[in-house]
Amino acid sequence: MSGWMLAGLRRRPAPMIGTLVAATTAAMLSIAAFSVVAEHSQAPLGRLATADVVVAADNQLTYTTGQGDNADTESVPLPAYRGLPATLAQQLAGVSGVASAVGETGFPDGTVPPGTVDLIAVKADPGISPDTLAQRIRTDLHGGAGYTIATGAARGDLADPQFAVERANGQGLGIAVIPILIMTALFALAATTALSVSLRRGRFALLRAVGATRGQVRRAVLAEQALIALAGGVIGFLPGIALGRWGVRVLVAHGILPPGSVAWSTTWLMPIACGMDLVICLLSGLIAAGRAARVKPAQAVRAVSTERRWLHPVRLLLGLAGIAGVIVLDVVSLHQSGPGALGALAGPLLMAGMVAAALLGPVLVAAAAVLAGPLRRTGPSARLALSGIYALPRRTASAVIPVVMAVGMIGAIDFSNTTISHDAASQSSQTVTAGEVLSGNGLNDALLTEAAGLPGVRAAAGVESLQIAATDPDIEFISGAAVSGGPLNGVLDLDVTSGSLAALQPGQIAVSTLEASNGVMGVHLGSKVTVHLPDGTPYTATVSAIYSRGLAIGDLLIPASVAAGHTGSPAAYDQVLVSGADPTRLSALVAAHPGVQAADRQVYNAQIQQNAAQNGFGNNLILGVIAALAAVTMINTLAVATLERRRQARLLTRVGATRGQLAGMFAWHGLFVVVLGLVIGAAVCSGTLTAVDRAITGSPTPYIPFGSAAFVVATVAALAFGTVMAAFRILSRQVAKH
Amino acid sequence: MLACMSAMTPEREWLEQAAGAFDDPVVGTGSTDAATAGPVVLEKVSKRFGRRRGRVAALDDVSLACAAGSFTAVLGASGSGKSTLLQCAAGLERPSSGAVRLCGTELSKLSDRKQAMMRRRQVGFVFQELNLVPELTVGENIALPLRLARRTVHRDAIREAAARVGLTAGQLRRLPSELSGGQQQRAAIARALVIRPEVIFADEPTGALDPYTAQSVLQLLRQTADGATVVIVTHDPQVVRFCDRAVFLDGGRVDSVVSAPEPGQVAQRLHALGERAGGGGDPR
Repeated sequence: MSGWMLAGLRRRPAPMIGTLVAATTAAMLSIAAFSVVAEHSQAPLGRLATADVVVAADNQLTYTTGQGDNADTESVPLPAYRGLPATLAQQLAGVSGVASAVGETGFPDGTVPPGTVDLIAVKADPGISPDTLAQRIRTDLHGGAGYTIATGAARGDLADPQFAVERANGQGLGIAVIPILIMTALFALAATTALSVSLRRGRFALLRAVGATRGQVRRAVLAEQALIALAGGVIGFLPGIALGRWGVRVLVAHGILPPGSVAWSTTWLMPIACGMDLVICLLSGLIAAGRAARVKPAQAVRAVSTERRWLHPVRLLLGLAGIAGVIVLDVVSLHQSGPGALGALAGPLLMAGMVAAALLGPVLVAAAAVLAGPLRRTGPSARLALSGIYALPRRTASAVIPVVMAVGMIGAIDFSNTTISHDAASQSSQTVTAGEVLSGNGLNDALLTEAAGLPGVRAAAGVESLQIAATDPDIEFISGAAVSGGPLNGVLDLDVTSGSLAALQPGQIAVSTLEASNGVMGVHLGSKVTVHLPDGTPYTATVSAIYSRGLAIGDLLIPASVAAGHTGSPAAYDQVLVSGADPTRLSALVAAHPGVQAADRQVYNAQIQQNAAQNGFGNNLILGVIAALAAVTMINTLAVATLERRRQARLLTRVGATRGQLAGMFAWHGLFVVVLGLVIGAAVCSGTLTAVDRAITGSPTPYIPFGSAAFVVATVAALAFGTVMAAFRILSRQVAKH
Repeated sequence: MLACMSAMTPEREWLEQAAGAFDDPVVGTGSTDAATAGPVVLEKVSKRFGRRRGRVAALDDVSLACAAGSFTAVLGASGSGKSTLLQCAAGLERPSSGAVRLCGTELSKLSDRKQAMMRRRQVGFVFQELNLVPELTVGENIALPLRLARRTVHRDAIREAAARVGLTAGQLRRLPSELSGGQQQRAAIARALVIRPEVIFADEPTGALDPYTAQSVLQLLRQTADGATVVIVTHDPQVVRFCDRAVFLDGGRVDSVVSAPEPGQVAQRLHALGERAGGGGDPR
């Protein structure tokens, strides 16, 4: 690499500061995300602290899809113990080097069927290391297939199965953030790099005139990008580590990660962040580098450096392909009835919209400048601003794209979230038709029978929230419920679309429309389906009902008798729903069972809203990451775009423009950027929102709370205006000095 | 025709006469017998900008040849097409029609990459402004064509090139913004000379300089050209003092050519061309 390629970075870094800030932010956020993904947490060992080796039945649920070379095996941690035969303890006690092997149950408060234990705690003879002993046990168990044999810190996951599940969930959140982060960073860096290239067209033309080939110019831009990426990785390292630690603390505080989780803080994160930054910077710099290389050498001679207003045909075609993609996906989504398929379209819709907006940005800016033509009549400030925008649409587009990105992505995620929460709340108020809801401790079958026997009771059912593993199409634990009593349709109105919920018998399962649809579980009434209970026990059942209100109660319903003994906790209901009970008799029943409370169905709603808030936290964290990157990019592109107009401001001052007129010109420019960014951003997110909303609620109208929308608009507008006007103050001071 | 002749202004009359006196066999508009020799040859070159109705012909069927080692000034009123002529001749812009031969090679047969390589090996450039890459030191700017060609850069060669144009070793370490306009033009000349070019193109090289500095820069170019063919685009009549001939453009066509031009004579002619073009001329 020649020195001339990077001289700009060393001696005149101003146009590239925006790119560096965005790259540093991207590195910082990716370090934080990785340190959450790779966090290590250890459950308290409790009674197992004295055991050298702990043996349990395989604590992972493994599922293989496909066959032969296409076989793909996945596994998820089980939230409950599978259980081992109690006799295994005696077998293990006979292994050479074992001092004692004791079957343990009730970790932490599970219940096991008679003759089984949760795990076996093995102590070693003096002089035998835990690893040696574990190896011998593995040999004794014929290779250990079907068992989890843990030593050291790994024993913690056996001490508390929920711990491993929580950890996987928290890490899953980190994993979900990374692709969104990469996508946001790509758009952010593409905008800042486009601006920095646009500002240096003159010198690229000069380089071409004195004999630089296109390849040399392209490589020069990419070399700058590479160096910026590495610098971003190094600068972002320490703040990223700090942010990761804070993130883990917050996730622990919200119960998303298990207590005692520690962020992965290692110097390895620096090369990882640099590598990721490098890929992002190079990919995002490709278009800008291509444009720098296409600068005509003749532009070195021309007095005024103008931009080509027409887009490169390939870019135009790709942009139009993006719009075509949005239209096709929208049409496809209109003809999709399955919520799963609609949900799967949401991501590609957002992506296609963002790509189209980014690629066609300059055309959209020029078109908007023409449409805004009548505003020129308001005075010289508006006239100057609009002329400038029309003449150099690419520079304005560089500022508009981060606004589009912020509004599009935040809108899509935030308003999907509000729609889901709103719908969950309204569904729950419609779902529970029972007059009274009993909750608290000790809600067992006996109490349910008693309640059902009260005079006047038309229906009484127990509901226990449950994690059930389904292949939809990957194996994962989803929320569902174990129900008993009935008739269910007397206490719940789940809006059954086919089949009947009057009674759910063993061998039957009810599935929500979201979960049943194609591309998810892909089942219909009468389908045979195998799901797995929390302890991994398979349950094969026939779909006996499909219902649409899954947000309130969960996506799968199974009989409570099937789940009993497989949930890792003593059989108990979370709620007992009662219809038609005489209030006095019900009060007497509650009084006879300490720990049980009766309330109307609003209690149920409150609980559902609380759960929705917890899910919302994860989404808010993702939103925060996007908002941070989008805000940083928006601020620095607007600042750079304003400051680079120093010459123009000086010239205008010389020909008699007042400071007020200049301020007006920049304010108009800021207003243009904000309004256009909001309009395009809203258009981009609307496609995604309608698909998500049709998937989840069946209606294409999203629920957008006024306060939430106003907050997004006001924040974007305040940041954009604040930046433009702050940059203008600096600029006018510089102009005044000359 | 007679009516036309009678309506001719004195300037126009003078131009017609001068054109007859200065006819040059290697120059013309639409001339089919344009000579094909020399490092810079344009044959029936036209260049049009814009699309459809907004289409403007900046050059119209221009033929021109410059002999090896000659100094040619290209003059004309604003918008006469002189900068476009330089851009087409130097391969910075592709003509809409016609052929350009530079250093014996037909440019249309070269790829963009080959043209760039030819520029850095055989062609030197001096522009009016934006001559030097602002983030490179003066020394790095002078060495730039060599670096682009991945040739070994000897410090002594750079110092020598700088010394030839009167720049000191200390100035080589400075950034262009730390030099005066005249010094920057000297650095640009040094950069043009460092590759020992066959042709040097200069576009208004003295446009941003005071008359005294302008004169010293041109003198320097003349002294140091070292056998290179030099084409200077200018509207400054004083430039022709250092040139072997002057080519006048008018409305994208070659109007006339003057051998051994005198500044006074050229100023008059420029004035006349300016009048004809609508008073846009500002001959100095």
